[in-house]
Amino acid sequence: MSTEPRFDELIHAPTRLSIVSLLAATEWAEFKYLRDRLGMSDSALSKQLTTLEEVGYVDIRKTFVAKRPRTSVRLTAHGRRAFAGHVAALQEITRGFRVG
Amino acid sequence: MSTPNIPPVDAELALAEVQSRREQVVGDNVLPAWFWSGLGGLMLVFVAAVESQEPWAVAAGSTVYAVGLATLIVALVRRTRVRIRPALLGARGGVAIAGFTLCLVGVGLAVAFTVQALGVPWPATIGCVPVAVAMAVGGPRLMAYLRRLMLSRPLAESAGRS
Repeated sequence: MSTEPRFDELIHAPTRLSIVSLLAATEWAEFKYLRDRLGMSDSALSKQLTTLEEVGYVDIRKTFVAKRPRTSVRLTAHGRRAFAGHVAALQEITRGFRVG
Repeated sequence: MSTPNIPPVDAELALAEVQSRREQVVGDNVLPAWFWSGLGGLMLVFVAAVESQEPWAVAAGSTVYAVGLATLIVALVRRTRVRIRPALLGARGGVAIAGFTLCLVGVGLAVAFTVQALGVPWPATIGCVPVAVAMAVGGPRLMAYLRRLMLSRPLAESAGRS
């Protein structure tokens, strides 16, 4: 089944595109993993994740592993659909460019 | 919803970013070469210890195997901070892993039974040697294949299935 192209302004912002792209390839990722891979501060990443969480694109879970707090993030089904639509929209734009 | 007026070059850059982030995740998830060599070595030690039938060797070999395996797994778990989507691996990835495993088992059994039929001592240990070598050499190659496979998937595929 092909995905309908749907440009998503929220995802397209550079930092959020990087976050969602990382999450799209994962089942879940640790907050620290995202922070290190994206080279962001805790607060900057938290802010972006909160924005994504507010629209239902990501799910943030806080657990304790060996008495240490661990925050993991995953893309929701809604977030995955939005990302797939956004990627399809980007591909459509570039296809037009290549043909033209 | 209409597509905004995004320059194609910006769309290309965005798609390149998506691909590069996927490469990052995949690269962080493949089993490292030391894991395969370590597992192969531990297996060889364990089989040799059991085959020796010396109580002290069986005890020592089992201990080394248990502690070594636990260490490998803990080291692996500690470096795992992300879990890749199985959809990226797909059926072909599953078949490759199963095929690799079956090959290892097949080679090990074939060598061990052949050596046993020839009356050579330590058949299980000798059968385990090519398996350990194949793990050390083939494991990283399997990972390289899986990496290529996962990166070749369409960009939207990782997001298309929930």
